[in-house]
Amino acid sequence: MSEAHEILEVSGLSVDYVLDQHDVRAVDDVSFTVGRGEFLGIVGESGCGKSTLLFAVAQLLAPPARVAAGSVRFEGTNLVGLTDKQLSAIRWRDLSVVMQSAMNALNPVKSIGAQFKDALQAHGKPSRQEIAARSAEVLRMVGIDPVHLKSYPHQLSGGMRQRSMIAMAMLFTPDLIIMDEPTSALDVVAQRALMMQIKELQQTYGFAVIFVTHDMSLISHFSDRLMVMYAGQIDELGATRAIFDRPLHPYTQGLLEAFPSIHGPRVPLKGIPGSPPDLAAIPAGCRFHPRCPHAVERCTVTAPDLYPLDGDLVRCLRRQDGSLPEPNQEGSLSR
Amino acid sequence: MTSTELLRTEHLTRHFKIGGVLSRRTLHAVDDVSFSIGEREIVALAGESGSGKSTIARVLARVYQPTSGQVYFQGKPLSAFRSRRDGLRYASLVPMVFQDPFASMNPVFRVQHGILRILKLHRPDLPASQRLDEAARVFSVVGLGTDMLQRFPYELSGGQRQRVGFAQALAMRPKLILADEPVSMLDVSIRIGLLNLMAKLRDEEGVSVLYITHDIASARYVADRLIVMYAGQIAECGPIEDVLSTPKHPYTQLLLSAVPDPMAPLSQVADRGEPPKVVDPAPGCRFRWRCPLAIETCAQVTPVLAELAPGHDAACHVAQAGAGQVKAFS
Repeated sequence: MSEAHEILEVSGLSVDYVLDQHDVRAVDDVSFTVGRGEFLGIVGESGCGKSTLLFAVAQLLAPPARVAAGSVRFEGTNLVGLTDKQLSAIRWRDLSVVMQSAMNALNPVKSIGAQFKDALQAHGKPSRQEIAARSAEVLRMVGIDPVHLKSYPHQLSGGMRQRSMIAMAMLFTPDLIIMDEPTSALDVVAQRALMMQIKELQQTYGFAVIFVTHDMSLISHFSDRLMVMYAGQIDELGATRAIFDRPLHPYTQGLLEAFPSIHGPRVPLKGIPGSPPDLAAIPAGCRFHPRCPHAVERCTVTAPDLYPLDGDLVRCLRRQDGSLPEPNQEGSLSR
Repeated sequence: MTSTELLRTEHLTRHFKIGGVLSRRTLHAVDDVSFSIGEREIVALAGESGSGKSTIARVLARVYQPTSGQVYFQGKPLSAFRSRRDGLRYASLVPMVFQDPFASMNPVFRVQHGILRILKLHRPDLPASQRLDEAARVFSVVGLGTDMLQRFPYELSGGQRQRVGFAQALAMRPKLILADEPVSMLDVSIRIGLLNLMAKLRDEEGVSVLYITHDIASARYVADRLIVMYAGQIAECGPIEDVLSTPKHPYTQLLLSAVPDPMAPLSQVADRGEPPKVVDPAPGCRFRWRCPLAIETCAQVTPVLAELAPGHDAACHVAQAGAGQVKAFS
């Protein structure tokens, strides 16, 4: 993808939580780009820094979190260091955010329509007719009857609330929509329906999506590229299909093997032993080595770099020198 | 069923009054649900939120009284329990493990506090001097080191806390553990460990588990039988492999088609996934508005479970009429 097509360029981004005793680095030297109309999935466990990264990209961090280094270039402008006033010109018009819990993100004492109106009036002086027309239009886009503009959030089902959040994010047809686990509170059927909707809207209106989730299988059919995060760092970044077919990092392999399938033989799974590290006490060397089945001595000493391989990026010493055993095809998702 | 029956519900119903004081509206959380759980058996109870899964668990845990219907444990009806001793005995035989491992432990006490109290209350036969040894034993069964007993809850990860939950249940020498979404709040990489623990408790300790979940794939991984709930009623139940390989009820088919599977091509699901509201329902199938196969009867008669294959029941007029395989969603 050429330079001109990239709408978001994050380079060397680090985020610290400034605490009394010491700072905790939640996002450590993360660089990636998002192309126009691209769907980037970010996967990781709780505490891996994925939500902090999103907040940093959207410049929504509040103390004690702060950007310690790096830049977030959105359509050529570095968002880091912009004032709230400068940011509010961009926010929602060019870049919008859909939060995890729509129940908390929507104002419970205002109707959906009133909240849409607020957002529209923040960027210009639309007439009442224009507000009504655009609000009804975006609700229709997500498959909700415009009569619900008069509804309050509690009158809508969980799926409809998330849909109306997405409708609100599309009021200005932004270039980038950031989504933080928008489907995690939904049931599988509603989850699937919402994913299809997001993909369809994306194809129609051409906005880019950054989609954060802890469930890799959810976005397997929807994202173009996948970024796997572990302990604040990128462990693997590459084309979604390639990662599912041939995960390069032992952590990605472990994540894929942690999902039972509803098809094929019932095989015993092991998951990944141990639990994700506390970011205040990150293991030396490779951050994954205490849980890695392939770790050798140098993994406990040398911190691996993000290394390009077959068009993907991977952070693993043994993958880099070719000594990592190929994943056992029997135990993995293939059947 | 091969195993002997441990717990059975008959026409279990639980309604809730909703709205103001003068409101006559009732929410039918659980309607006419009959199922049984055998010894050494993991039964998965699956369904979307609001389908009545947790209400069933709470009725079984005697948190709620059933509106009508009866629960039998080892042949004895729960409504016959009168004394505190009966209640305590039942609570120790059928303990509950909760969804949120962060909210279900007292943060100001060491982990051993809860488990020693359980031993004191529910195991009066056990001398006080042996309580710590017994606590260490159940901890090792669930895969926790003895040193964990001295920790405070905040020092434990989510997965470890949930293991403590199972250890506490196990300390009562239970027959049946009610596990309400025990892994849904845990990270994917450690969920499998907890599922393996449930299978181990069944195989090595002879405990049955009612595994309440919305995750069909994890149910398949660990359970022997599956009960699919829809809008407070059982849509389908049977041996889990049978239900998943030949789902009879259109709702089960819809549910299966929506499970994300990275290795299969993407199936198209037209359904929006709007769960039904079961307030003062009229007769008829509660899935009929979402069902592409609905016929006239579905709007008039509430379908009841009927056996369509050995041990495999479904509550669907269309499936029951056309003895062959119906396919609403693939």
